[in-house]
Amino acid sequence: MGGAFLHTAAIAAVFLIAGCTGPQTRLSEHLPRAAAASAVELRHTPFFPQRDYQCGPAALATVLVASGVEVSADALVEQVYLPARRGSLQAEMMAAMRRHGRLAYRIEPKLAALLAELRGGRPVVVLLNLGLDLIPVWHYAVVIGYDTAAEAIILRSGTQRRREMPAGRFLQSWRRADSWALLALEPGALPAADSPQRYLQAAAGLEHVGAFDAARASYAAGLQRWPDQPTALLGLANSEYALARYDAAEVSLRRLLAARPGHVAGWNNLASVLLAQGCTEPARQAIERAVALAGDTSAHADVLAATRDEIAAARRAADRAPARGCDGLP
Amino acid sequence: MQIQSMKRFFSAMLIISLVGITTPMPAFAAMVGTERVIATEQNREHIDRVSEFLARDDVAQELQKYGVEPADAQARVEAMTPQELTQLSAEIHQLPAGSGALAIVGVVFVVLLILELVGVTNVFSAI
Repeated sequence: MGGAFLHTAAIAAVFLIAGCTGPQTRLSEHLPRAAAASAVELRHTPFFPQRDYQCGPAALATVLVASGVEVSADALVEQVYLPARRGSLQAEMMAAMRRHGRLAYRIEPKLAALLAELRGGRPVVVLLNLGLDLIPVWHYAVVIGYDTAAEAIILRSGTQRRREMPAGRFLQSWRRADSWALLALEPGALPAADSPQRYLQAAAGLEHVGAFDAARASYAAGLQRWPDQPTALLGLANSEYALARYDAAEVSLRRLLAARPGHVAGWNNLASVLLAQGCTEPARQAIERAVALAGDTSAHADVLAATRDEIAAARRAADRAPARGCDGLP
Repeated sequence: MQIQSMKRFFSAMLIISLVGITTPMPAFAAMVGTERVIATEQNREHIDRVSEFLARDDVAQELQKYGVEPADAQARVEAMTPQELTQLSAEIHQLPAGSGALAIVGVVFVVLLILELVGVTNVFSAI
């Protein structure tokens, strides 16, 4: 009785485990038709063999150096390694890229997206779970290529300079880590993927942590591919403003408002830029436009109120001092 | 605990107001940030500056508990976005930390070894 139960349980366990291995897939199914039989290997990607538990710093150094940053894995230990966890967190990998002026771009969690970036010539950091959901063994590696003939993914991983992993096994471990993959883009570079939202969010991250030059170059590159994209125009203007390049900021905001006349944040920021240039009357008109468009429920009501107060204070201080050559509003 | 968080709140307020005093006009308060506009578009909750400051402080302390030097911890949180800070301050203990090495011994080790042989895991081959 007990023996029969154990026997059944063992068979059930084998099927469960077999079920975990997931569907078999061919690389060609995730490539454009013209590239169904192809191979890529980014051979010039540097290699930093991992020491101890430090695959995070090693993988990060690999892609940073590939993107033109001069850095070593050892120097990155104090930026991403958590001694008591013996590992590195994903958020810290992204933050460290920003510290080196690189845009941390998380690609879409799909094999097709990963292969597209490799075809675009960029190595990709991936998080893998080499164990199971229940017994996770987390590992960062850098994907540098693939080969449809061998059905293999090529990696820089741990202490192995070149590791060919069967595509099925790679996918299994990658999917157990939610297919997490990250690019380090130098300012002005665009990913292969055509996703303005992902790209602009990453650029806004650079801007938020004060890397304004890098952010400005990223937004400008984004506008090359997606002309008049509102968030890119706003981000470009905000970066110019932070760099005290008010004329350039004004140009971007006027372009934004020509394309999107109802853009509340755009009107508010134009008001602030005009104020910074000493154009208090056009600034007042711009903020009134923003307030009228926003209504009472605007998410940005607090900022609008602050801008309005600043403009009012500046107008009292200037007390009708003649403004310099200010352009009127559209 | 209550007093501790009160103290942190007021020190945050103090620092932010001092920053406000020392920053030359025009102040950043009057610009709508790009990050904020994106958060609004995605219907994400926007984090105000005080909450962001507190989350940053919180995460820096957690990093120190994990053995990071105080100055390094500060520099590390400075490079994080509001979204990352909120995530880390809520669940830093559960998040994966990629280490690329096996810190597991005993029965679990044997189980993983067997699973590796039947092709379910990749612990021993990929590192």
